[in-house]
Amino acid sequence: MNVKISALHKGFGPHPVLRGVSLEVPQGTFTAVLGPSGSGKTTLLRAVAGFGRPEEGTIEIGGRVVDGDGVFVPPSRRGIGYVPQEGSLFPHLDIAANIGFGLPRGQRKARVAELLELIGMADLGHRYPHQLSGGQQQRVALVRALAPGPSLVLLDEPFSSLDAGLRASVRADVREILRDFDMTAILVTHDQDEALSMADQVVVLRDGVVVQQGAPQELYDNPADQRLARFVGDANLVIGVLAGEKVRSVLGTLPTRAVDGLDDGSRVTALVRPEQIKILPEGDGDLAGSVVSCEYFGHDTLLSITPDSDGADPLIVRTGFEGSLPVGTRVSLAVSGAVTVWPAA
Amino acid sequence: MTAALGQAPAAPSDSPTARRARRRVGDRPLLLIALSALVAAAVLLPLVFLLVQAQSSGVDTIAKLMWRRLTAQLLWNTVQLSVVVTALCAVIGTGAAWLIERTDLPGRRIWAVLVVVPMAIPDFVVSFGWASLSTWVHGFRGAVLVMTLAVYPLVYLPVAASLRNADPAQEEVSRSLGAGRLRTFWRITIGQARVAILGGCLLVVLALLAEYGAFEILGYQTFTTEIFTEFSVSFNVPAASALSLVLVALGMLVLAAESAGRVRGRISRVDRGAQRATGRHRLGWWAIPALLAMAALAALALGMPIGSAIYWWVSSTNAPFTGVSILDAALHTAAYSASAAAVTTLAALPVGVLAVRHDGRVRRLIERSTYLVMAMPGLVIALALSYFSENYGGGLWYQTAPMLVVAYSVLFFPLALVGVRASVAQAPVGLEDIARSLGQSRIKVLLRVTIPLVGPGLAAAFCLVFLSAVTELTATLILVPTGVQTLATQFWNYQQNLAYGQAAPFALAMIVIAAVPSYLLGRFFDRLPARKAQQS
Repeated sequence: MNVKISALHKGFGPHPVLRGVSLEVPQGTFTAVLGPSGSGKTTLLRAVAGFGRPEEGTIEIGGRVVDGDGVFVPPSRRGIGYVPQEGSLFPHLDIAANIGFGLPRGQRKARVAELLELIGMADLGHRYPHQLSGGQQQRVALVRALAPGPSLVLLDEPFSSLDAGLRASVRADVREILRDFDMTAILVTHDQDEALSMADQVVVLRDGVVVQQGAPQELYDNPADQRLARFVGDANLVIGVLAGEKVRSVLGTLPTRAVDGLDDGSRVTALVRPEQIKILPEGDGDLAGSVVSCEYFGHDTLLSITPDSDGADPLIVRTGFEGSLPVGTRVSLAVSGAVTVWPAA
Repeated sequence: MTAALGQAPAAPSDSPTARRARRRVGDRPLLLIALSALVAAAVLLPLVFLLVQAQSSGVDTIAKLMWRRLTAQLLWNTVQLSVVVTALCAVIGTGAAWLIERTDLPGRRIWAVLVVVPMAIPDFVVSFGWASLSTWVHGFRGAVLVMTLAVYPLVYLPVAASLRNADPAQEEVSRSLGAGRLRTFWRITIGQARVAILGGCLLVVLALLAEYGAFEILGYQTFTTEIFTEFSVSFNVPAASALSLVLVALGMLVLAAESAGRVRGRISRVDRGAQRATGRHRLGWWAIPALLAMAALAALALGMPIGSAIYWWVSSTNAPFTGVSILDAALHTAAYSASAAAVTTLAALPVGVLAVRHDGRVRRLIERSTYLVMAMPGLVIALALSYFSENYGGGLWYQTAPMLVVAYSVLFFPLALVGVRASVAQAPVGLEDIARSLGQSRIKVLLRVTIPLVGPGLAAAFCLVFLSAVTELTATLILVPTGVQTLATQFWNYQQNLAYGQAAPFALAMIVIAAVPSYLLGRFFDRLPARKAQQS
């Protein structure tokens, strides 16, 4: 079911939390709402669920207004599944009763068995929430939300309380289950890795307004501003001068993505992602420098390299092939791919 | 430029529970605040009485009544007893808690029960048990012995709970930093339990300030015994209230000192990782003296009072035991206590919900003000209620069942609030939201989620008040309806007339009636998940 949110406003006391948020979530897609804490993302999610009423704006689910224009559909009749941060399983009910909570009595037994099977916990139905691991609890919380057949599922940072190791596997499980159900889902998170890796569409919220909305790659390659560029990943911000469709900088002359509204010859800041910089043997590239620090992760290596040119900041470089390089190693650098530019401050 | 890998400079997210609590600030719960304010006002009525009384007598009269040799003597008696008994209780309570929670003491489960049961024995019954058998137990030394044995569980219970939930890794870190066993015990173990020990000591001092029956039997004069005499023997209300003013001031002083000490006692833990089971210290041969100490404690605190009551009952020859009078008294006791427990729990409900689910200045003010009742002994509350009835109600309700119930409700309000808060915390708003999103109506959410979660805690609050009301003597003596006897008052009458054989079965009946709810209570608080305990 597609979701349409228009011009949502909400404040707590004198503090505005949402200041005119509009976004659309197409049927069957997975949308991540990404933002730092205090950006209003949880408030937005709770408004969609019907737990907190916005002061202005409308929320439509599947073409039906559920909030706004004098209409308010209570949460119990919105047909929305909700998975909160801590899972929040009912502590006084066993797992089977938790999953069957929203089901009519007659269907409970068969449907619960089916769902337990789906999450690989067929023989754990009689256990109580405190007897499960964090990952198991989250899986139960998800199928509990899916059991009554909602048209939309809301996930409120459901992975943040899990260990890093567990998080990746639970994320993958959740993504798969949601795909099986062909479910429209909205995930709220402050973790950019989570948003980029799981979502079809990412909506970035900051101080109660939408900063950018787009596919994960669009967001990473072409962020709306410098703050966002840093928020979604490591970023080298390089000063340069615009020359036609290109930008001249310490890293050489680089092709740009778009220069709309920027004058030729104006000073710009260019975004160069660490993956765009290649390390070459000394003397081969456009720019020489030396390694000042090196973090080796096995699957890749994160280097900090100071270019020889005067006053240049160290560059972050991510490389998959060179392995660990000793500090002081002389290298040459080359940039591949287009860069995003903004007018320099 | 950020050199950290993969970590965008996102602000650290604050704790989910804190955020959830704050989220509710927007919608002001006016009805809840109004109800809570009403309850707080009712509960603070005795304080109003003291101020009104002081004002109407005039500052000069009060000052004259206060600056007497008697006041100095009472103050000295009260202070020296408080210091000695509190110190002994702190040592015994903490020691027993450490042995039971942190060592491999044999029979820990049984000891854990035996150590707490004395809670169910009224202080004046302990006092009777000792004083009726030995003339040595008298005056100051008698008061120290009896009160220590009667109230040390007030320290044991919170300290045991805090040691159970403490982080064992801290002891290991201390040892690894080169601190010896003894130093680790002082710096770390006691440090972890410091807030709990302080809280327990607060309860001990407040119990000592409020105690009447035990000191009356032992012939030890404190503010409370003197106030009782002034009021019900000399009918000197101004003198009684002048002394009450000092007594309540002492109580507030202790409350203030405790909350000042509590502020410095914050405990921090970095991670949110799962907590390991607490490792136990091996006692080795030390188990023998430890067992002897525990056995001695159980014999003195539990064996003596019960044994003494049984001895007097069995050896009594003068009057045949009449089961009718005890049944009648037990029914009255149960009826008053159960009504008080119900009223108190209901009254604590709005305040508890406000405290757990909402934030704000009004909430804190209301909650703090109800806390002040802890400084008010039952005697002062009874005086206040009879004063208001006489002066503003034309004697309405004086020495009637409703007034006794109101007195109990005010007196035990803080107890009920503890239980109600704990139970409301069992049902976070989030769970109700989820139940709503799963298609359940408000009524169904109440029946299927809120009541099952909150119910046990409310029952615990009910039990706590019931148990305390059954063993209450002082306020009951003043307010009990004319011609009616409760277990406590009937026991008291027989005991005053030295009819020990007839008093004994009433003492035993009180112990039996109070033991059941205290057992249930122990079970409830043991079952509270540690996660909830950390939040509060």
